[in-house]
This record gives sequence, structure tokens and C-alpha cells, in this order.
Amino acid sequence: MPEDMRRDFADREDLIAYLAAQFPAAAAESAAVSATRGGRRAAEARLAAMRPAPYAATRNFLGGAVTRLSAYLRHGVLSLAEARRAALRAAPGPEEATKLINELAWRDYWQRVYAEIGEGVWEDREASKTGLSATDYAADLPADIATGTTGLACMDAFSHELVSDGYLHNHARMWLAAYIVHWRRVAWQAGARWFLSHLLDGDPASNNLSWQWVAGTFSHRPYIFNRENLERYSDGVYCRACPLRNTCPFDASYETLQARLFPHAPPLPAAPRRRR
Amino acid sequence: MSMQRPIVWVHGDCLSPHHPGLAAYPGAPAIFVWDEELLTALRISLKRIVFIYECLLELPVTIRRGDVAAEVLAFAGEQRADGIVTSDSPAPRFRRIRERLETVLPVRVMSLEPFVRAPQRVDLARFSRYWQAIQAEALSDFSDNAL
Repeated sequence: MPEDMRRDFADREDLIAYLAAQFPAAAAESAAVSATRGGRRAAEARLAAMRPAPYAATRNFLGGAVTRLSAYLRHGVLSLAEARRAALRAAPGPEEATKLINELAWRDYWQRVYAEIGEGVWEDREASKTGLSATDYAADLPADIATGTTGLACMDAFSHELVSDGYLHNHARMWLAAYIVHWRRVAWQAGARWFLSHLLDGDPASNNLSWQWVAGTFSHRPYIFNRENLERYSDGVYCRACPLRNTCPFDASYETLQARLFPHAPPLPAAPRRRR
Repeated sequence: MSMQRPIVWVHGDCLSPHHPGLAAYPGAPAIFVWDEELLTALRISLKRIVFIYECLLELPVTIRRGDVAAEVLAFAGEQRADGIVTSDSPAPRFRRIRERLETVLPVRVMSLEPFVRAPQRVDLARFSRYWQAIQAEALSDFSDNAL
């Protein structure tokens, strides 16, 4: 008869030691453990702390009132329907809950697309709008990104946070993804695999399709950012101490970066650059 | 198809104590299987395993590892089960496992509560079109005016 895995542990350390021994390949990938605890009790505590109006006002800031529900939603510890109802209850009216529910809707949307295309989440949904072809992108993630040793304080911090905690703020994910795909010209699939290996909320649908949104293979235009944008929403914490602050590759206008990163791109629609 | 002695197969897309299978068959033996092939293919790091394991420890499930379909069927055999109950998932891997289970035992796939009661057929080409189609429903509190 097959052997059951253990269910009784003295404490979290005991559990971690057991799992590291049971899954040595996973521990070799990274032995770090997140501060975020699994389970319904932890999920309900996060749900109770949800504040829809501050969320709407501050969610783009790394220090904003985000919910940190993603890992629980990804594994169905909480349902999207429960989170939606909690948001409506916690907000004074539907208007204050709109932004939060809109973001929950993104997950529902990605899941519906996943139901239609399945493994197609690993393939370009549409032609890229960058004027570049697939062969212009490296197949593998460069080691300096994976180890957080690019010298760019922002990107190195995001890399360390991803690997050590399994969580990144959504805006940090977008910046890191854009850096990898557009500045370093690495295939989005390499970045997507890296994220899935580490993110507690790693989900082939939300993750890969968001990478495609950044890459421009599932959106009208590739997503890019500049230093001004990153500095503002990170409260300048990375730029102040960055060894490359005087040669920052992000320190330019959107128009200049656009021309530099996508020299052969067809003219793009002049829509305002929105965030997802 | 009526099952008298089903087991519940819990997978990583629904780790809630309110799992529809656990709710529909209280006390039924339940199992979760670590998908060894998937862990290797995706190079899943330890912190993800710890998180999921902590979720499992709050659920009444037996935990095993290996080939998921083979382990679920072995568990069903031990329990002399006449069927398998699980929750739905859009993952293609889920469908392939379910198909293997169905060659041996009936499988009841239970739906999760949907995010909105919007039409199932909405334009998925862009999020903006999808959001337009479901926004009103998403912002209405249907628990207060149940059908």
C-alpha cells in the first residue's frame, strides 16, 4: 500500500525540514520559504483586512493597500465569488469597490481564456507589435537576472524578493517583465517559467497571459515604463541607492525609449499608456 | 450516475474547506496527490510546496505523491470506492487526468461558484470587452436579492 505523507508537525520549521527532505529538487531550486502562510485561516484574515477604497487610490504604489489575496485565489482557498462579495461588503458603495472587483475580474478573464486555449497560453496569442521577430529574443533567462546581480537596484531587489518570498507587487512584476523582454530581449516564456517556479500565486493562465500582455502578443502595444514612473510608484527607494543611477537604462521619455527599444516598430496607436 | 461510496480527489485548484466535493459527500475519504511530473517540469521551488502543504493541513485529506491518476485510482481501490468526485478546472492537465480516471471509475466533476452569473459566451479577445459585458453583474450584490 502506498505510503501517506505526514500530517503531524511540531511547528512550521518541522514541516519545512520534512518537505525539503521529501522534495530535494525543489529545495535545490530555492530553499527559501515565504512569510506568507497557506491555509483558509490565513486567507480569511487577509479577506477581513481588505480595504477597497484605499486599494483603488494606492494600488499602483509598492507600498499601497494591496490585498495579497492572489496565492489564496490561485489555489482556490478562497473563491473569486467570495472575494467579490467581501469587496462589496467592505466598501461604502459599489463605486468604491469597482477597482478591486475589476482586478478580480482579470483573474476570471484569464481563466476563461485558459479554458478555451489550454496549452496555447505558452504560444504567442498574436503577432508582436514590436517590429521584432521571435529569433531576436534569447531562449533562456540570463543568470544575472535570476541571481539578482544586474547592478540595477530595482530589478535586483525584485529578483531577490521573487525568489526569497514568492511574491511581487503587480507593478514590480510588470517592470521586471518589461525589463526582461524589452530591454534584455529575452523570450517572455523564459520569464514566465521563472515566475511560475517561484510565485506562490503562479498560474499558467494569469502568469503567461500577463507576460504576453507585457510582450505585446496579447495587447495592442508592448508595455514599457520609464524611470520617472518606477521612481514615483516605488517612492524612489531603489534609485536613491542604485549604483547605476547616473547611467539608468530607464531614464528617458517614453518616446525615446520606444524608438530605442523598438526601432523597426510600425507606428503604434497613440492611446494613453494604461496599466493592467 | 449515483455514487454510494465515492472518494473525493482534491487538486491544487481548489484547496478550500468549502470544496464542493467535500461538502456534497461529508466524511468521504479524500486524497491529494503531488504531481511529481509537474513539479519537475515547472521546477517548482520549495516555498510553493510549503504554501500548498499548509493549505492541505487544514483539509481532511490523505496526502500522497507520484502519478496523480494512478495514485487516485489506487486510493479508490483501497477504499472500495464506486466513483470519484472532484472540482472543475480549466487546466488541460486536469482534463487528461480526469480522462484516465474515467476509464476505470465514474467521475463527478463539480462546478465552483462562478465569479459572476454572466453569460458563459462573452467576447474574450480583450479584457475591456469582457469587463463591459460583466461589469453590472460583478458590481451587484446578488446575495441580497437572491433569485
